[in-house]
Amino acid sequence: MLKGIITLLLFQFLGECISKLFDLLVPGPVIGMLLLLVFLIIRKSSFESLDNAVLIHLRYLPLLFIPAAMGIITQLDIITKEFWAISISLVFGTIIALAFCAKLMDYLTIRTENKK
Amino acid sequence: MNIDALVEYISTTPLLWLLITLGSFKLGIIIYEKSNKNTLLQPIIVAYFLIMGALVVSGVSYQEYFKSVEIIHFFLGPATVALALPLYNNLKHIKILFIPILITLFVAGVFSIVLAVSLLWVLGAQLPTILSMTTKSITAPIAIITSEKIGAIPSLAVGFVIITGIIGALLGTTIFKMLNIKHDTSKGFALGVISHGIGTARALEISEKAAAFSALAMGLSGIVTAIFLPLIIQIFS
Repeated sequence: MLKGIITLLLFQFLGECISKLFDLLVPGPVIGMLLLLVFLIIRKSSFESLDNAVLIHLRYLPLLFIPAAMGIITQLDIITKEFWAISISLVFGTIIALAFCAKLMDYLTIRTENKK
Repeated sequence: MNIDALVEYISTTPLLWLLITLGSFKLGIIIYEKSNKNTLLQPIIVAYFLIMGALVVSGVSYQEYFKSVEIIHFFLGPATVALALPLYNNLKHIKILFIPILITLFVAGVFSIVLAVSLLWVLGAQLPTILSMTTKSITAPIAIITSEKIGAIPSLAVGFVIITGIIGALLGTTIFKMLNIKHDTSKGFALGVISHGIGTARALEISEKAAAFSALAMGLSGIVTAIFLPLIIQIFS
């Protein structure tokens, strides 16, 4: 699995370097992700060691955001003050956006099928 | 016995908080699986309350806690790169419905952000909250690193991401039934664009095709948002 881990870290490193060098606003790891995607497309397949390294990172993905997520305890002020604005935006924003997205995709899919 | 040395060790080693964090998450997974994968009992939510309890009882500040578990935070980088693989594995589906995917990705992605932001703005929320809401529909690792770039509050951003994921996963099927959505591909794609990983887990219960489209949507919207959002915010500010 070492080869897979090196691959992930190497692509992250490349992504961060490119982001810094060209003063990009895109986060380095996202550039690394794009580069790895292009690499896989050119290579036409993944390899076992990379599959394993990816699995170990994604299997416990939510664990990785706990350090950042715990920071909410320093934001209780904002949350209590803007509780209703946040709640309404989250609940209604999500419901309406999900409905809109599904309907749009369904409409476009049916239109594409009818053309064929 | 050297009690002083022991106390000194416990209060300075990062191991204690690493153990509490990993242990709480493991407990979260056990509870989640015992509850038949109840969407509301996401492992991270159980872990969150356990760790918060430990922090409150011990009086340790968030800054000290973060320093202890920073090594976990570090792995967000390689994990983001790792997202390329599931995206690559599902990329073949993009050809089947290329135009619908492209249009929905951009139109629904923009619509979702504009809607949430306008609701906040109308209801009088402040700028940091509004910025933290813009990444609510993308997968958490990308949301965290993007929110750091745009001057949002990463912890609020993760909170919004998780809640958005849960709402979509809970109500998705009902919404699709009410709107008479025909294709599983549309259901999966919508869940992926709006509710990222938690939505994708839900899509897996609809069908394999829905899950594939959800994973595809989640990867694409993560990339597109991370590229365009910082640019757009820079233009406006």
